[in-house]
Amino acid sequence: MTLENWLTLATRRLSTSAAAQVRTEIREHYDAALAVALAGGATHAEARRLVLNNLGDPRTANCDYRRVLLTSQEARVLREGAREADTVCSRPWIKPVAFALYLLILAASAGFALTGRVPYAIDALCAAFGLSPFLAMIFVPINTPARGFLFRCARWIAMSTAPLLILGPDAWRYSWLLLSCLAPLAVTEITRASLRRKLPIKAWPRHLYL
Amino acid sequence: MNFKGTLPTLILEALESESDHGYRIAQRIKERSRGVLDFKEGTLYPALHKLESDGMVESYNTVESGRTRRYYKITASGSAMLARDRAEWHTLSQAVTMILGEVS
Repeated sequence: MTLENWLTLATRRLSTSAAAQVRTEIREHYDAALAVALAGGATHAEARRLVLNNLGDPRTANCDYRRVLLTSQEARVLREGAREADTVCSRPWIKPVAFALYLLILAASAGFALTGRVPYAIDALCAAFGLSPFLAMIFVPINTPARGFLFRCARWIAMSTAPLLILGPDAWRYSWLLLSCLAPLAVTEITRASLRRKLPIKAWPRHLYL
Repeated sequence: MNFKGTLPTLILEALESESDHGYRIAQRIKERSRGVLDFKEGTLYPALHKLESDGMVESYNTVESGRTRRYYKITASGSAMLARDRAEWHTLSQAVTMILGEVS
């Protein structure tokens, strides 16, 4: 095994910046250890073998690195989150339009109820309930870890119960559809949880609270 | 010897007296344990990154013999954690010694 092979295995699935950081620090370490081994009388080949052996299994190092440094998937989620936040923040019309749409759904619910179409009214009310966390996301200042945690709990409760309430007894029949819609969101949520664990709170971008 | 879990404490201990770079931290731990704690050096840096993100150590770059090196230094929180870990370790080792001493 060469140092390059070791580094390739140790930096597998790490983000570009994390991989560069690992490469720099391990090269530094390698050079220092090689100099000591050569000064101790070892040949170049022996010194290289000894230093690589002392570094250990690159796969184990990779597992350890992935626990503390950003992976490529986490870096992507962070980038996409920042882009989405920019999209919302840079368009001032989004807030009033979102609020108007929400009011429209509530008004539709009231309209259905008044015209005697109660099931439609309940469905519209459930849809409003399911969308309420997204409205809160825009209007409520969620800027502490505790508020973020409460918001995420509320969002998951709303997102998972609203479709169940709308579908009613048919929910079981459409469970595959619900699960396939929620699965990608769950994967993103798990990645975001990992990001929150790895990044110090001071370095969290606003969208990581959500 | 397997000492997983204690590596962060040993790193903090190695950094308590002076700042150092990764390679020397590893050598210091090995030397001070007289070779008993012979760990794989590739596991040192993930532990250092974790300590850094937890605010226990800080890193800075410095040029040494024309080469840029990353040095690590212990923070006030790191020193406090080291003191706590040291006290816990003494209590634990005393308890284990009492039990093993009774058996032998």
